[in-house]
Amino acid sequence: MSLPPLPLTVIGGYLGAGKTTLINRMLRAPGGRRIMVMVNDFGAINIDAELIEAAEGDMMSLTNGCVCCTMGADLFMALGDALDRRPRPDHLVIEASGIADPSRIAMAARAEPELAYEGIVTVVDGGEFPRLAADAQIGPQIEGQVRAADLVLVTKGGAPDLDLRLSVLSGAPVARLEEGTDATTLLLGQARDAKLPVEGRGHAAHVSWQGTGPVMDRATLEARLAARPPGLYRLKGWVRAPEGGVHEVQVVGAGVTLRHLREARETQLVGIGLRGTFDPAEADRWWRGG
Amino acid sequence: MSKITLFSAKKIITMDRNRPEATHVAVRDGRILAVGGADCAAPWGEAVVDESLADSVLMPGFVEGHAHMMAGGIWKYAYAGYHDRIDPEGRPAPGKTTIEEVVEGLKEHAAGLPADAPVIAWGFDPIFLPTERLNRHHLDEIAADRPVAVLFSNFHLMCVNSKALELAQYSRETNVEGVMKGADGTPNGELQEMAAMFPVMRRLGIDFRSISADREAVRAYGRVAQRAGVTTITDLFATFNPGDVDTLLEVTGAPDFPVRLVPAMGGTGAAPAEIAAQAAALRGRSTDKLRLGAVKLMTDGSIQGWTARVKWPGYVGGQPNGIWNTPPELIAELVAECQKAGVQTHIHVNGDEASEVAIDAIEAAGRSHPWAGARHVLQHCQMMGADQFRRCADLGICCNIFANHIWYFGDQHVALTIGEDRARRMDALRTALDEGVRATIHSDAPVTSLAPLFTAWAAVNRQTMSGRVLGEAQRVSVEEALHAVTLGAAYTLKMDGEVGSIETGKRADFAVLGADPFEAGAEGLKDVPVRGTVLGGEVHLL
Ligand SMILES: [Zn+2]
Repeated sequence: MSLPPLPLTVIGGYLGAGKTTLINRMLRAPGGRRIMVMVNDFGAINIDAELIEAAEGDMMSLTNGCVCCTMGADLFMALGDALDRRPRPDHLVIEASGIADPSRIAMAARAEPELAYEGIVTVVDGGEFPRLAADAQIGPQIEGQVRAADLVLVTKGGAPDLDLRLSVLSGAPVARLEEGTDATTLLLGQARDAKLPVEGRGHAAHVSWQGTGPVMDRATLEARLAARPPGLYRLKGWVRAPEGGVHEVQVVGAGVTLRHLREARETQLVGIGLRGTFDPAEADRWWRGG
Repeated sequence: MSKITLFSAKKIITMDRNRPEATHVAVRDGRILAVGGADCAAPWGEAVVDESLADSVLMPGFVEGHAHMMAGGIWKYAYAGYHDRIDPEGRPAPGKTTIEEVVEGLKEHAAGLPADAPVIAWGFDPIFLPTERLNRHHLDEIAADRPVAVLFSNFHLMCVNSKALELAQYSRETNVEGVMKGADGTPNGELQEMAAMFPVMRRLGIDFRSISADREAVRAYGRVAQRAGVTTITDLFATFNPGDVDTLLEVTGAPDFPVRLVPAMGGTGAAPAEIAAQAAALRGRSTDKLRLGAVKLMTDGSIQGWTARVKWPGYVGGQPNGIWNTPPELIAELVAECQKAGVQTHIHVNGDEASEVAIDAIEAAGRSHPWAGARHVLQHCQMMGADQFRRCADLGICCNIFANHIWYFGDQHVALTIGEDRARRMDALRTALDEGVRATIHSDAPVTSLAPLFTAWAAVNRQTMSGRVLGEAQRVSVEEALHAVTLGAAYTLKMDGEVGSIETGKRADFAVLGADPFEAGAEGLKDVPVRGTVLGGEVHLL
């Protein structure tokens, strides 16, 4: 029996940035998914256990220590446990510890065939970021968390020029996480069988887009994807190849993965972008090559 | 009345200034009843004379203040390291000084395994084999039809054969940081860091948790300690899952388990106040052979991995400063909560910026929750200067110094990490003692091998692998080094009232030696044979 790969999203960010709040919010509107949460950071706010149950989800607490103290082996051993769970969860969300480099964890999703990389979301406390980034002791690691991000979510204010600074640092879309924002679809993508409209509480942080149509060779497709419109955070689907079969397209943030499959399919892409930054009409023009 | 046993020995080195040497020690109820000559037990009544140690030299059982349980369990895999070692069963595990020897050794090991079992080895260190990098082609010679994996001594890297790469689906197309590739563009077998190692470890069933926690691992750890003359040993960064304490109580409580185990719970996985409360609750389950209740905290990484947090001027090669595993403000909060709950902490500090942060945290905790007898312990203390040791003395902070590093990595520190002048004052036991710090020295087994007499030798001689002396001014006397591995370490575990010296009232824990370490002197210290231990009056000869 071969199961579909388990999608993995890593939530990074310093202590108190709002990682737990974000996860609680996703659990409140799981969109029909069984979300498994691994917690590696512990602060004033805890993951709401009732939400975990309501979402038919699962939670594991982690210790990130180990024999030689610095390799973080426990986290990976727990990843193995998550993969061995039956039924396998629909999505795995790891809350990285406040000082961790989220890319070191997310890299496992690129390495492990049974995991699917679904991006790094770095949560930033807008008010605190300038002070933390300037801190001689932890500044480089704090900036590193932003540099690793596929999506930056800003909580709690911040100066007007902060978004630009974060966007230059990360090369990724930067969004504001307002009170009541439903970020689930943006962060986790469409649920596997999200035919029925999913009602989240609050307003959605995302805008969806669909594209169909052309047959494209790999070079043209690569060039087209490189010029994708701003704010398009995820893109998934297939594009027919002239030599037969399809190119499977996977875009999360800055990362683009293309794979040739010998399957007969129509060209079909589904995109999710940031509300306010991403314009579906612009995406239509882009996809038509206009 | 319980029975009195009178042990006679060639010589007993007590580490008690009131009677530094003796020939006999009387034991009742697991404790030392009297120390002295053949008649020392006379006032207490009839004694049964035990002559089994008559031609041995006794010392207080050694106390290892920083080691890990994995030092026992890891031996379920083949040893592929550079230095000679002895396995828990006492079989020699000769060092492999060339890649050919590694391959030959593993071929032999593979022949003894079931045909479909993966071939797994540990302890390999390329730093000592600078000629050619180990790659999958070497390991393919061992086996082509089943996976082969060689874990490096720091556990951050591994090298695997082609079959293992195939199982993990690593190929030319793989684009994963840490999956190293050769000139031909295909993976060369080397995997760096956990993310890249994980798919192979998972498929080969390598789980660090079981080799650090299951019954057999605990028993193997006991045997490793016994071989080294160690009667009290730490496990610094233990995780306690439900049932683990019961397992530890059962295994350590067996009469043939030859060591007192002191696990310090890893200080992660919960909010600081909760960690402190958990540790305080564990303390209540302690027995005479299992001491619970301390917490281990992480700060920075390692110097030879350039991940230690070092103060100005940083690394000589211009590498960026290291990384925090716990942010400084959280370290302060953890120490404060532990201190508030009356929980002792052991704090990993390799670089001098990390030690500064830890000392600051303890000082601040002392202001908010005064506790004169906390005895928090800085672990490794590798780059601490005299100023930091003075602060430790002021604040009652203990220092457990990584003396073995001088021999194993001293040359590398001079050439590659922090340069000659700071390498000379690394692991500065002399300065620590002179500044009035309560100090001990350690092996960090399995990182280096568990052998307190070797660790003492390293602190006395400060000789590196190339044969030079690194930091003559930091050498200590044989007596000071032996004190460090007995009473010095016992103090850091708050067990100096029970163990660490051979004096009336203490537990009858002895190291049984084949020669007198003082006669062996500075040079011969490391070669003094260990014949076994006595724990609570029970003889455990090898
Ligand atoms: Zn250690």
